[in-house]
Parts: sequence; structure tokens; C-alpha cells
Amino acid sequence: MNCQDINQAIVEASPLPPEAEEHLRTCARCRELAEILNVPVPADLPSPTVLREIERGLVAELRPVRPIAPKRYIWASFLAIFVVIASLGVYHIGAFAIAVKTPLQMSAILAALAIGAGLLAYSLMNQMVPGSRHRFPPGRLPIIIVISLIIAIAILFPFQHERHFWAKAWACIRTGTPIGAIAAVPLWLVLRRGAILSPIMTGAATGLLASLAGTTALEIHCPNLDASHILVSHLGVAVLGAVAGLVVGWAVENRN
Amino acid sequence: MERYQQADLEAPAILVSALSPALLRFFRSQSATPGQAEDLLQDTWLRIHRVRHTYRPGEPVLPWIYAIARRVRIDGYRRSRRINNHETVMEVLPERHAESEPRHALPVFEALVAALPEAQREVITMLKVGGLSLEEVARATSSTAGAVKQKAHRGYDRLRKLLRGYAEAAEGAQ
Repeated sequence: MNCQDINQAIVEASPLPPEAEEHLRTCARCRELAEILNVPVPADLPSPTVLREIERGLVAELRPVRPIAPKRYIWASFLAIFVVIASLGVYHIGAFAIAVKTPLQMSAILAALAIGAGLLAYSLMNQMVPGSRHRFPPGRLPIIIVISLIIAIAILFPFQHERHFWAKAWACIRTGTPIGAIAAVPLWLVLRRGAILSPIMTGAATGLLASLAGTTALEIHCPNLDASHILVSHLGVAVLGAVAGLVVGWAVENRN
Repeated sequence: MERYQQADLEAPAILVSALSPALLRFFRSQSATPGQAEDLLQDTWLRIHRVRHTYRPGEPVLPWIYAIARRVRIDGYRRSRRINNHETVMEVLPERHAESEPRHALPVFEALVAALPEAQREVITMLKVGGLSLEEVARATSSTAGAVKQKAHRGYDRLRKLLRGYAEAAEGAQ
């Protein structure tokens, strides 16, 4: 048994196994660490006046509240918003890419976007309720999703040289961004039912989820197959949305 | 907690008296002065009251409470930093040496964890002072159990190094 094993036992709050005794006899640092951690930390008692003040404050404003909706309803709401806004967007701007993209390209990119949206919806659902279990680190998830989408686009579509690159890119960004902005409104309406403890993190995830609706609409609308175009103008809409959400979250966090 | 959501008049007193000592200890271990810790405690209960509808019956209460307390602490720290940035120090008071323990005794837990980086200190305090499990700390810090475990491992490694430094300093003083 070594120092790492002792760490493991301490971290997992399990009683030290008999073999640990041998190590503790020879390792002074582990012995001291174990001694310090074994000493019970004395309880700090708040002053009775403070406690009474807190209790009075809580009782004065005590009203029955209905617990927040079950997780699956919230998750379904986020996904429904994503699907409805993306569909309305496609309905409005047209689905010209279906005739141009191969079934593999279309299904793979839509699947990648759907998985990204599903994971973001799952993360947001947990961010609404303090103390939720996060299977994916919520701060890193938007970055992971954007990187995965970059890889998927680079694999699925060819890089071609095209004329008027920035003009075409700007046209798609102008089309996709409003769709994302529209999706952000109902997403915010759902989010405000919860307790957002980290507005920056939640803002970035919400911005990304909302603007992925715009990116999805663009993937069905835009017949341009150039990977650079898709990365800059379609995925660019998603990145812009995430940055906008992050800035809004930052403003909210600094206002508090 | 469920009775509190249903506006049972006795529930706030039970919750406040049961959880406040641990919360206060949590704030104190995070380098807050006694006065700041009591302010943070009051802010925490105010926020708990505002968002009490987000507690789902049947879910563990401690991660929910500590997630809110942790956020209050971060907001409080930012607020005090903003205020400090706008204040001019007129007079520097002599530093108070908190520890009056004998040189050869081991440092107390609180003094030892104060030297840890914030993330490690938070995790170790929740595990040791709050009595939360790895899974509960992960929930309270919006993290994964693996990440919490890693932080705790690093924290304990660092505590060992601090203890070594402490022992060497004590030997040097002899």
C-alpha cells in the first residue's frame, strides 16, 4: 500500500484497511494527514439572533410552492423548442439542400446536430436544478459539441475553393442568426422556472442550443457543399449564439 | 424540505437549525471572517427560500443546499472584491496571528486547508466538514464524480507537502 492508496481510501471515506496500518507506521506524512482528518471538526454555531432573524424572514414569506416539473418534461420542452423553431425556419427559408446533399451527408450532419442539441438540452435541464447530477461537465460541453461538429463537417464535406466566399457566408449568417435569436426566447421562458446558479455557463449553453436551431435550418436550406462555407457560416451561427449567450450570462452575473 | 415547500410553519426552523452550523463551517473554511460567514449564511437562506420550488422531492437535499451555498459564496467573494477595489486603504492594521498553538503540534484542519487552491479546498471541505459523499460533492459543484475525486487526490497530495514543509520548519526552529 502506498500514499496514493491511502488517498483513495480517504477520498472514498472508507475505513483504512489493515494493510494501511503498515504504511502509516513507515510514512510520517500519511500518518499526520490521517491524524488531522480523524480529528472531528468542531461545529460553528451561528448566533441565536442570526438564526431567529433567518427563521423569521423565511416564515414571513412562506407560501406553498409547486416543485419544478420532472426532468423528462423539461428535456422534452427544450427539444420541442429546438425542433419547432428549426422546422419553422426551414419552412420559411426553403429546403434547397435536400436535393444536393447525399443521404449520408444529410442524415449524418442532422444526426450530429440532433445529438448536440440533445446533450445541451440535458445539460440545461440539470443546470436549472441545483445539486443535479451532471454526466458531462457542463462548462466544457459546449466546447466539446462545437469541436465534434467541426470534425463531422470536415469529414462529411469537401473543401472547395469558391468565389465570393465572404459574401455567401454573410448571407447564411444573416439567415441563420435570427432563427437562433427566436429560439432563445422560449428557451429562456423555460429556463426561468429553474434556479440558474452560473449564468455564464447556462448562457453559453442556451445560446449554443438556440443557435443550433439556426444551424440546422441552414443545413437543410443551403445547397453550398463547401466545408469552409459550412464551418464559417453555418457553424459560425452556433458559435456566435454561444458567445452572445456567454456575454449575456456574464452581464447577469456581474449585475448580481 | 417537502414540508417547507408545502409552507409548513415549523419546517423553516427545523431546516435552519439543522443545516446552519454546517453551512457556517463551510463558509468559515472558505476563508470568510465570522461576520462575513454569517452574512453569507443569511444570503444562502434567502436564496434557498427564493428557489425552494427547484428542489425535487426524493432527491438528496445536501447537494441542493451546498450548490446554492457555493454560489452565494462565489457571489459574495466577487462583491467584496469589487468593494475592496473601490476602497482606499487608509491604515494597515497589524496582521493577527491566528494560530497560537505550540510549534510542534500538527496544524488544525482549517489552517491547513486554507493553503489549498480554491477548488481543492472547496471539495475537501465539503467531504470533511459537510460530510458529503463524492457523488454529492459532484452534484453540489456541477461536476462529475471523477473530477471531484481527482481534485481531492491532488488536495491530499498537497496537504502532505504542506505537512512536510511544516515539519521541516518545526525542525529548523528547534
